Amino acid sequence: MAALRFIGVRLAQLAVVVLVVTLLFYWMLNLLPGNPCVAAFGGAATPEQIAQCEQDRNLGDPVIVQWAKWGGDVLTGDFGKSYLTGRTFGEAVSNALPRTLLLLAYSQILALGAAIPLGLWSGYRQGSAGDRLITGGAFALLSAPVFVVGLVLMLLFAVRLDWFDLSGYQPISDGLAAHFKVMFLPAVALAAGLLPIYLRLLRTDVIGTLQEDFVGTARAKGLPVRMVLLRHVLRPSSFTLLTIFGIQAAQAVNGAIVVEFLFDLDGVGSLLVSWVAAREFLLVQTLVALIAAVFVTVTTVVDLVYAALDPRVRRR
Amino acid sequence: MTAAMTTVVRASRRATAPRRPRRSIALYVSLGWLFLVVAGAVLAPWLGFLDDPHRPLAGPPEAGPSWSNWFGTDQLGRDMFARSVWGSRLSLSIAGPAVGMGVVIGGVLGVVAGYFGKWIDLAVSSVVNVALALPALVFALFIVTMLGQSFWNVTIAVTILTIPAIARIARAQALRFAAREFVIVANVMGARWPRLLFREVLPNVVPALASIAFLAMGIVIIAEGSLSFIGVSVGSPSITWGNILAAGRGRLEESPHIALTTGGVMFATLMALNFVGDDLLRRLDVREARI
Repeated sequence: MAALRFIGVRLAQLAVVVLVVTLLFYWMLNLLPGNPCVAAFGGAATPEQIAQCEQDRNLGDPVIVQWAKWGGDVLTGDFGKSYLTGRTFGEAVSNALPRTLLLLAYSQILALGAAIPLGLWSGYRQGSAGDRLITGGAFALLSAPVFVVGLVLMLLFAVRLDWFDLSGYQPISDGLAAHFKVMFLPAVALAAGLLPIYLRLLRTDVIGTLQEDFVGTARAKGLPVRMVLLRHVLRPSSFTLLTIFGIQAAQAVNGAIVVEFLFDLDGVGSLLVSWVAAREFLLVQTLVALIAAVFVTVTTVVDLVYAALDPRVRRR
Repeated sequence: MTAAMTTVVRASRRATAPRRPRRSIALYVSLGWLFLVVAGAVLAPWLGFLDDPHRPLAGPPEAGPSWSNWFGTDQLGRDMFARSVWGSRLSLSIAGPAVGMGVVIGGVLGVVAGYFGKWIDLAVSSVVNVALALPALVFALFIVTMLGQSFWNVTIAVTILTIPAIARIARAQALRFAAREFVIVANVMGARWPRLLFREVLPNVVPALASIAFLAMGIVIIAEGSLSFIGVSVGSPSITWGNILAAGRGRLEESPHIALTTGGVMFATLMALNFVGDDLLRRLDVREARI
């Protein structure tokens, strides 16, 4: 019962936040001087076209009514279209979304795959030369902007060594080799920003957990160090990793926008940037409002998973 | 007891010992570097040896680093060292005011929320939490698009990015100090809230805020760099680190020095900022803000 109530409260909060955040983005477009419908045609529209656009967007109504109608359209799958190109929002995003999601997934796998062994080891060997090398490296990576890391990777491995392609996106259906030849460097560039965050948190956690009695017990039972680290030390840290995963999701999207631009991947970030450049305010507004909604939802889901795993959270 | 077991025990003993702040050469190198970069940015127009960053053929086009062009030249033969220094001028003059405003606004919000608690805290905290969960760059892009690409609009956009994180740290610090004995004693002695807030709590939060300013500066430089890298910051012909790197991306094959030199300067500056900020936070024992 308590669990159901907790879920209910969190979902209600989520609904309120999504409504407020999207309304906020909607209201901001109204602060713009001039008519967004005039801008949407790039200044070369007939009065009929503008009237049509104004009617589509309900510009005659108060902001809150516009927003409510927009919400209704979105929920029924009508996301609007570009008045310049005639392309619908749905087409553009459904083309771009898989690329962005794959990029994010690969980079998270790479970041976690590297951070877990390195974090465990450097926490276990705290203060050793290896630990200092790893923490120092993590600190340096943390200071490197993703576009600098990306440029260096590009120069070394695509331009100089020619191991990877810079030909834009290749779908998996064109063959795994071609796909990874274009996706690997972007994923590494993005992972480079996430890795140090995971690593440092895990290291701190490991140092704390190693002091617990159960670690000594596990060792005294004769378990090898590797088993103790993986079974007994890593497990309590999974909560920390989960929390930070939720927080870092937003950070990863910031990086993804830049990485997609850098490597010509034409994902959602590139879409956003190109719409911004073409002054497609109406599409930018819908996309930003949706991204905000997705993120607030992700945070709530992480919270719920967290509560499911750790009963103490529910009582707070 | 095996060797590995003793390592576990030793590791744990070491972990409980208080950490001594490092007073390392790296800290002084960082401070020296920051001083150089800031001095270069401020004094750029008056530095006699610095080329005009817009002058074509300051050297042979697309030449690598040489004695006359320290960072080489671009395809128009413009001096890349001069462009890097002028780029820092714009990047830092956006980051400076942005961090200043961010620290003041975020600091006030956080301290007020942490000190008064109740509904004020609830309101501030929930806004901060939502803001932290959103991808900041998307938001900055949106603001700059809506307001237009100008110096102040970019500054406003990146300022807004810093506020939630700073407010969260300030709140945690205020909470920590509001419960300390000297505040309670002042309260018992009859001090009212303005005195408690401004004379007792705030002065203790300020050092933490000052050190966070270094970290926030790094975040803002990256944010502005990302915006200008994707072409959404202050427009051409302004020179920023981000748009130098964007131009260098197109010339990676012919002149990698364009991206590498400016990228290196940017990386060194960010590392120095993080190093100084991290060191200060360690000295002040602020746990919430460690990067």
